[in-house]
Amino acid sequence: MNLQELILSLSRFWSEQGCVIQQPYDIEVGAGTMHPETFLRVLGPEPYRVAYVQPSRRPADARFGENPFRFGKHLQMQVILKPSPGDVQQLYLASLAALGIDPELHDVRFEEDNWESPTLGAWGVGWQVLLDGMEITQFTYFQQAGGIELKPIAAEITYGLERIAMFLQRKDDGFKMVWGGGLEYGQIRHQDEVELSRYAFDLADVEMLRRHFEDWEREAGRCLEPEEPLVVPALEAALKMSHLFNLMDARGAVAVTERVALIGRVRKIAVRCARAYVEQRERLGFPLGRVNGNGKTNGAPAAGKAPKGGSR
Amino acid sequence: MSAEYLLELLCEEIPANALPGARAELRASFDAELAGAALAGASVSVYSTVRRLAVHVAGLPALQPDREEEVTGPSVKAAFTADGSPTPAATGFAKGQGVGVDALRVVKGAKGDVIAATKLLPGRPVPEVLAEITARVVRSLHFPKTMRWGKGEHVFVRPLHNILALFGSGKLTTLVPVELFGVVASTGTFGHRVMAPARVELEGAAGFPAYAERLRAAGVEIDPEARRTALEAAAHRLATEVGCEIRPDPELLAELVELVEHPGVLRGEIAERFLQLPEEVLVTTLRHHQKCLVLTRAGKVAPYFLAVCDRASDPQGLIRRGNEWVAGARLTDAAFFFEHDRKEPLAARRPALENVLVHQKLGTFARKSELIAGLAAELAATAGTAVDGDALRRACELAKADLVTAMVGEFAELQGVVGGIYARLDGEPEAVWQAVYDQYTPAGLDGALPRGPVAAVVGVADRLDTLAGLFAAGEVPSGSKDPFALRRAALAVVRICAETPLACDLQAAAAAAVTRRGGDEAATTALREFVRERVRHYLTAAASVKPEVADAVLAARWGVVPDDAARARALEAVRGEEVFASLAVAFKRVRNMVAKGGSGRFAAELLREKAERELLAAVQKAEKEVQRSAGRGDHAAGLRALAGLAAPLDAFFTDVLVICDDEGLRAARLALLARVEALFLRLADVSRLSAQ
Repeated sequence: MNLQELILSLSRFWSEQGCVIQQPYDIEVGAGTMHPETFLRVLGPEPYRVAYVQPSRRPADARFGENPFRFGKHLQMQVILKPSPGDVQQLYLASLAALGIDPELHDVRFEEDNWESPTLGAWGVGWQVLLDGMEITQFTYFQQAGGIELKPIAAEITYGLERIAMFLQRKDDGFKMVWGGGLEYGQIRHQDEVELSRYAFDLADVEMLRRHFEDWEREAGRCLEPEEPLVVPALEAALKMSHLFNLMDARGAVAVTERVALIGRVRKIAVRCARAYVEQRERLGFPLGRVNGNGKTNGAPAAGKAPKGGSR
Repeated sequence: MSAEYLLELLCEEIPANALPGARAELRASFDAELAGAALAGASVSVYSTVRRLAVHVAGLPALQPDREEEVTGPSVKAAFTADGSPTPAATGFAKGQGVGVDALRVVKGAKGDVIAATKLLPGRPVPEVLAEITARVVRSLHFPKTMRWGKGEHVFVRPLHNILALFGSGKLTTLVPVELFGVVASTGTFGHRVMAPARVELEGAAGFPAYAERLRAAGVEIDPEARRTALEAAAHRLATEVGCEIRPDPELLAELVELVEHPGVLRGEIAERFLQLPEEVLVTTLRHHQKCLVLTRAGKVAPYFLAVCDRASDPQGLIRRGNEWVAGARLTDAAFFFEHDRKEPLAARRPALENVLVHQKLGTFARKSELIAGLAAELAATAGTAVDGDALRRACELAKADLVTAMVGEFAELQGVVGGIYARLDGEPEAVWQAVYDQYTPAGLDGALPRGPVAAVVGVADRLDTLAGLFAAGEVPSGSKDPFALRRAALAVVRICAETPLACDLQAAAAAAVTRRGGDEAATTALREFVRERVRHYLTAAASVKPEVADAVLAARWGVVPDDAARARALEAVRGEEVFASLAVAFKRVRNMVAKGGSGRFAAELLREKAERELLAAVQKAEKEVQRSAGRGDHAAGLRALAGLAAPLDAFFTDVLVICDDEGLRAARLALLARVEALFLRLADVSRLSAQ
């Protein structure tokens, strides 16, 4: 199965589970979690189900396209199920079956791996999912986001798409993995891995990055000032700050002592966005309903589409 | 015939590190609760898999025995009138407890006499009692980390899906009505999630053995010990098939037992070319990332690994091939790091240490390397053993360079080891690369020691520098707070000094380290006290001496650990001899006297009483003997020589008035006692030994 078939299969599967199929966020992010469709939607009492691919940028992980397993930008398939359904593990196994991975012929294990994002004031409890020893998915029950205790709890499923595609194709080199359209991953992405690495490690203008970090911090503050704050623009400013921080970090321009303080400045904005979002939804009367009240979950799975893959 | 209780909680995958603790706590809590419910004759067994916690209680009655409970009521004054007749308070209390007024007794309360009744608690059906106990025990279980799920209303280690709770005699016939976290108990459970997901009905089953057997048929081994045995047997068979042995790894095996429901093991192969990687890197990659057991052949790593899988079989070989692919990918990754690092010699990375902070208050690793080098040279000069100065300088230069390699960036636990391997490959002398390799050993009281004197000096200097820097900055561990593991660092210093030929004085070394870090006298004192505590810990834990013996020896003097340990062992050996009983008391008097009276000019010619002349003669003899025996390292003989002073001291204190009117004579007598004190303190402050 090539990379695009993988994306199409997962999108179709989660669409059938009642998920909104969203698009990648159009701002650089380090993980799919930072997309407002996760970071904001997991807050408050409203039910939500969404899935999307998110290109995730980790400049410090870039390796000039020389390491066959490391990318400065990789693809995540992010799924949010809020509230987490009782059969969420079964759903997940069924999604693997949709990729042609028959659980009866493979060993799928859930090993403890908890998640924390100091930048987002968020943490969760869960597992890394191992398929025949290969880590293919991060599975998290969100406990807190933007410093707010969550209730209901959302399940987040994050598939590492390159890894899964390499595994399915038994490729030892990520750049040789087949993307689709008759092309390999490297033919499409290798040059930008090289260039993004050179930019992040050698060329980025640290002074400019630092200046913009502060510019966007001020801008976020301005967005949050009004009585009815501009939540999404403020969050977008925080995402830009986070990416600028990551670039400075990759460039080796963040002293160890400074690190915590810079992350803290991004978190401060994320936390204010989270609070403002919950207040905004409350003002709007929680238009999507309430999980613990008489709200409905968008798109309960259609009858006859019960996933296969074991009853428990 | 006694009855039994079977409880199983079926969850989503529970973290491996939570399971041993949960089993222990379940057993202890059930024991305590059953005893509290007059069901103490029952025996509790606890089991688990990665998805289940199970409790089996045998030897239960069907009906709880009746119990009596004393209930106290109002004060006697309030309960009876002056003529002794009961007030409404008394009759009301009696009625409330279900007894007649004439059954009331008077007992002592905290605020005077009160009336009391013995209430009969009739036994209840045991399943009812068990339901209450189960809910209490499970809700109060402690886990390293808990979570909420779904609507967010419940807190547990992982979402709970099913409760099996059955009671019965011979057959499990009665449902125990437990309800937890929104799940109501039933009479069945479910098998392995993939291999046998169907419901397993257990109503009427013939007790725990039937439950364990039906689970086994459904792909689940509930007993961790049985899983361990099965895993070990299968691993042994798979290793033997290819003429290999398993590299022992009890810690990993214990974790693997907790990771599965079914004890499956498979053997995978890795490409021969990976065997060219340094063995430590190969093993760490397989072990750390893939939780694989490593196989060896004739002591060398063989091109195989063993991985657990939660499956009974691998019909198409897909699981094995998947694991092989992943192991290959990980090793390729490690090989990439290795080749990347090897493009330049280890020494070339030193400038990068200018940019890496040890700790906010300790500056960079570049600075630390210089400080270590200076301190190490100082220690080497007084080490009491030959240390190659050139090798020492070079080892200090290279010691921290591996912190900026890609390999240590990926495998932090290989710090030191990676630097040592790279230094070896760079052609550095053996003393140098071994010192880099061994700089973090030992980790505790067990484990290998650094190889050779250079490595020992580097290990001591590095740790003392960290300790001194943090003490100088006021970052002193207190109580349970020791974020930089300074106790362990200090203990490692003590152990290296005790068990390698290195014989430096730790008091002097601590002062030197603090001075290099710009610390003051107070920091030196605090660090010395801290190290002294670790010496005491070492003597009691590793040298097996009693705490009071360690105290006696260290109170005399301390710092050269082999000498401290030798004196402690000698004192431990001779202290039981009869003469030591009175010696402790006599020496205590000496110390008190010297402390109170001060010491004066020693003038032997003034001493005129028989007892004091004899004491002087005995002291002179003992001084010679202590000197001689110390020279041949026989502290026990020295201590026996001190014991010879017991009788002369007794006679002295009986016959001689120390605080006499003649000032010169008083000074001379005090000086004699001070000489006795000084002699004792060359070995031990025996006044600290309790007389036995």
